[in-house]
Amino acid sequence: MTALWIMLALAPAGALACLLLKDSPWARHVVTLACAGTFVCAVSLAIQVERNGALHAANGWLQIDSLSALIALIVTSLGTLCAWYAGDYMVEVRRHDENDAHWAPGRYEALYLGLMSCMIVSVASNNLGLLWVSVEGSTLSSALLVGYYRRPSAVEAGWKYLILSSVGITLALLATVLLFYSSVHLFGEGGAGLQWTALREVAAQLDPRFVRLAFLFALCGYGAKAGLAPMHSWLPDAYSQAPTPAAALMSTALLSASLTALLRFHAITAACVGAQWPDGLLTLFGIFSLVVALPFLLVQGEYKRLLAYSSLEHTGIVTLAIGFGTPLSVFAGLLHLIVQCFGKALAYLVGGSFLRATHSRRMDHWSGALEAAPSLGVLLAGGGIALMGLPPAGTFLSEWFILMAGFASTHHAVAVGALVALVFAFIGLSYHWTRMLLGRPRAGFADALPARAQAPMYILLAVVLVLGFALPQPLRALIEHAAGVLRP
Amino acid sequence: MIHVPDWLPRSNTVNLLAGAFLLSSLYVASQRRLLACVTAYQWNSVALALIALTVSLATGARHIAFAALLVLVVKAFAIPLLLRRVAERSHAAAEGEPFMGIPTGMLICGALVVIAFSQTRSLFGSGLSILSSCLPVSVAVTLVAMFIMVSRRRALMQVIGLVLLENAIFLAAVALTYGMPLVVEMGVLLDLLVGVALLGLFVGRIEETLGDSDTTRLDSLKG
Repeated sequence: MTALWIMLALAPAGALACLLLKDSPWARHVVTLACAGTFVCAVSLAIQVERNGALHAANGWLQIDSLSALIALIVTSLGTLCAWYAGDYMVEVRRHDENDAHWAPGRYEALYLGLMSCMIVSVASNNLGLLWVSVEGSTLSSALLVGYYRRPSAVEAGWKYLILSSVGITLALLATVLLFYSSVHLFGEGGAGLQWTALREVAAQLDPRFVRLAFLFALCGYGAKAGLAPMHSWLPDAYSQAPTPAAALMSTALLSASLTALLRFHAITAACVGAQWPDGLLTLFGIFSLVVALPFLLVQGEYKRLLAYSSLEHTGIVTLAIGFGTPLSVFAGLLHLIVQCFGKALAYLVGGSFLRATHSRRMDHWSGALEAAPSLGVLLAGGGIALMGLPPAGTFLSEWFILMAGFASTHHAVAVGALVALVFAFIGLSYHWTRMLLGRPRAGFADALPARAQAPMYILLAVVLVLGFALPQPLRALIEHAAGVLRP
Repeated sequence: MIHVPDWLPRSNTVNLLAGAFLLSSLYVASQRRLLACVTAYQWNSVALALIALTVSLATGARHIAFAALLVLVVKAFAIPLLLRRVAERSHAAAEGEPFMGIPTGMLICGALVVIAFSQTRSLFGSGLSILSSCLPVSVAVTLVAMFIMVSRRRALMQVIGLVLLENAIFLAAVALTYGMPLVVEMGVLLDLLVGVALLGLFVGRIEETLGDSDTTRLDSLKG
């Protein structure tokens, strides 16, 4: 229980410390250490949950079950690694980028930790109102990060992100109100009607009309935040304009946290009106996101935008897998969520190094990566393999399981469609990666970051590869139990 | 359940205030001057706070009175103040060439209101809450606010559409469930306040970079 409170308190305390430390060289270490502290707490919470079952705190406002423990692990581990990398990256940006924001020292670090704390609260909250407040808080803290650079395109991306996410999240508020309303005849107007665990227990007695309506609004609202098509139009702009470590954090941790918010609504809806209807919607949105991403994966010139569309594709796969609704597919969906998050973070961070090395965002300026910078080239190849779903990366296994589950379920046509889409995604990505890795390097290619900035990327690569060969038993049990939370 | 006196369903006060809520949002749809729209939003928020206050007087639920007070402070004073400052700093005092004329827009808004009133009853039934008369109004304002957001070019007008949308959902929450728990309401209002401050900041930066706040010119990022 103490671990939960420490995890919640560390990030805001670190943010405050960064604002006070200003341009002291300690500020960057404070960020990494605060994030690493939350990761240790998340591990300890996961162990406790596995041993004693779900934890409840603060009169039912907070809860850690297997699903929240799993997502907390993803959020805090990626937060730590991105912060570690950001230490060197942001120094380089401040020194050499003419578009640098010139923010007061410590403000970037404080916002990063603010985003972390909002995500941690959203993962740990059991109250749907608190969940909403924290997801909206994460939008606000990340909007400033998206608009970090002083160039018109960053302003444009920040504006689109803020206005679209705000409208989406307002619809999610309506969903929360409707779900609350559907339970008023059971709980009265007290706060209990917003508690996820309480709603889940009495789901069968909720008014199904309003639960359905609430799920539709939640799908639009939190779906927009998670970047499901067709609410994804902000996504490539925001991810391509934000500073690389922030983009890596948003496209992995923030995406997982928002998707979890949607899945919490899904679990209540499935328990109330039966699983078929909400599952069908998730499948539909999943396959649609997957297909929408394809043409942009094939013809794309800019690396970070390519990753954003790949992110759309992988979110689609995870949503699709959970929509298939069999125990295997939900398990594989969660596994895929983990592996693709680590693979994508790796691809983003190594992209940041190339961006600094070549001062170009375009992939055709990065050719000959393996020759110009062998170490970075290997990392780039690793990120590519993870996003393409090639063995030995873990994404190969999880995508294999998802397709297997799809063919074993009743959704044969969707599974065939997903398979074809994955083939096309593979063709697009492998084309771009071959061009980047091989060929003749351009003159003036020099890694601007110190070699120690590669350490977090090697950790990410190791996780992606290890998960392709073996799933450690404790992690496997945690994912199985998290799948059980989604689908009892 | 909160005890509800039976005089309230026919209460003219609530109906009158709901009318003011709807009319002020329609006024925004009919106006092109930014400052006039901010004032209309202010009246919209005052009507919302008074509705919540009436409910709290009628039912004796104290947390709604607190929420009403917060709405008054945040939505009727702080947010209009912020929006007014952004509007005064902006070069353009009015909406530019609209996508469609104001008369066409008003006709569409009228149709949206009719749809909201005719469809809400069939979904929610009548007499579920003392405020069931507010529900169609809330749905109507939701639709009108979304229409304002998609039909205007100026960045600030889109922000006004967004805060109107938020007001409509707050009204739905009050009408359906007498408001959410106070802590949640406080969090929602805080988020809204920070959100509007940020949006105001971005409006300023858009004007700085484009020399104009026409959002249709934000089209450099594609594909």
